[in-house]
Amino acid sequence: MTDDGRLAEFEARLARGEKIEPGDWMPDEYRRQLIRMISQHAHSEVVGMLPEGGWITRAPNLRRKLVLLAKVQDEGGHGQYLYHAAETLGVTREEMLEALLAGKAKYSSIFNYPAQSWADIGVIGWFVDGAAILNQTMLARCSYGPYARAMLRICAEESFHHKQGIEICLTLAQGTPAQRAMLQDAVDRWWWPTLMMFGPHDSDSPNSPALMRWGIKTRSNDELRQEFVDQTVPQAQAMGVRLPDPELRFDAATGHWRFGEIDWDEFWRVVGGDGPCNRERLEARRQAHDDGRWVREALAAYAARP
Amino acid sequence: MTDTQWPRYEVFVQERPGRPHQHAGSVHAPDDEIALQNARDVFVRRPECISLWVAPAAAITGVTAQELAERGAAPEAQADGDDHAFEVFAKVEQRGTLIHIGQVAASSAAVALAASRRLADANGALVLWVVPSGRVTRSDEADVAPMFAPASTKAYRDQAFYHVQTALQRMRRSRQP
Repeated sequence: MTDDGRLAEFEARLARGEKIEPGDWMPDEYRRQLIRMISQHAHSEVVGMLPEGGWITRAPNLRRKLVLLAKVQDEGGHGQYLYHAAETLGVTREEMLEALLAGKAKYSSIFNYPAQSWADIGVIGWFVDGAAILNQTMLARCSYGPYARAMLRICAEESFHHKQGIEICLTLAQGTPAQRAMLQDAVDRWWWPTLMMFGPHDSDSPNSPALMRWGIKTRSNDELRQEFVDQTVPQAQAMGVRLPDPELRFDAATGHWRFGEIDWDEFWRVVGGDGPCNRERLEARRQAHDDGRWVREALAAYAARP
Repeated sequence: MTDTQWPRYEVFVQERPGRPHQHAGSVHAPDDEIALQNARDVFVRRPECISLWVAPAAAITGVTAQELAERGAAPEAQADGDDHAFEVFAKVEQRGTLIHIGQVAASSAAVALAASRRLADANGALVLWVVPSGRVTRSDEADVAPMFAPASTKAYRDQAFYHVQTALQRMRRSRQP
């Protein structure tokens, strides 16, 4: 069959709602976009352990410590689910890991911001995981079987991440004036970077048309961002915290919350490697990889025993 | 020693008695034993598991729906040597994953695939995998408690553990004049 014929057949399969599986014919661009997207997603889970990991030993009580430990452990596991999905497209885990350690791979910019106080742990769960779940729920319906299945698994596990974050924020919101101020400060710092997580406006998003055409993404960046704002504003009102956007107002005509313009210079600066923690995050990953070398060597020696 | 990637193992999880093992993903490991351990750490942080299988990816022979369709009229593979058991996995729903659909006896993977086609056709298979039963490493009955029970004591990993919607509503009401 010619490539044109194969492409037509491929798109007909997508139109019938079929899932593409490893080994099926797919356009090179579909494969390339999926590898790019899934590996970035995997790296984000792995690097995402770092901002919160530092708070495990500083959690305010044993319950919070157990919960945070379980959440960070989940993120490590989610990275593995995603590396698996990317591998089914012909890239190896080793190549992906090397790209990350060499600083050549991208991951979600949100993890280049520091977690400065305990309230940040609450707000990361409430905002960052809340935003991630919207994106991941969409991807659980994507056209590539292994990615969709990894996402289903992740979504099922991740709603606890979102809820434990809201629980921390609720506790602080009902606490002392100092605790309420700490929560407000965290909200002020995380609100805009979270809105940036959804990516550029649809009109400035170079990969979006191909991703939408082939059913990898089924909703646009702006659509998902709007849903996040609409779900989060009433929660902030209930908690009595102020979102740091003077232009935020309810538009009765559309039923949506209107919000101000994102600082795209900051977005591109952090994506480009110049965020508050880019270097620190990579350094921590390299250190973790080096520190784990003796474990890999011990396991290999055990497997090679006579 | 070179610090390089280990072989890949595919992982199959049985969630409840009477349900088939289903494909969950893959792990890398230097041997079968560590693969099972890694699979447990990566895929069983929640209680839904009573049995875990791992098989080296290199030992699995698979065909996709497209290949199944294109090879529809292909002749039966020739037998070579004695029969042994193969585990058969099939993806039978568009949104589903590969599930264990049974066992066939065959002298080679090609023969096993041909034999599985009949089993698979009855199920409307979209993807088919066969793996020699002897290459599958299974969690031991005796290890089920130590391997999987700890997850069931961690209720805080379940979103139902948190009652934030009720708390948010209560706070919202207390703010209204």
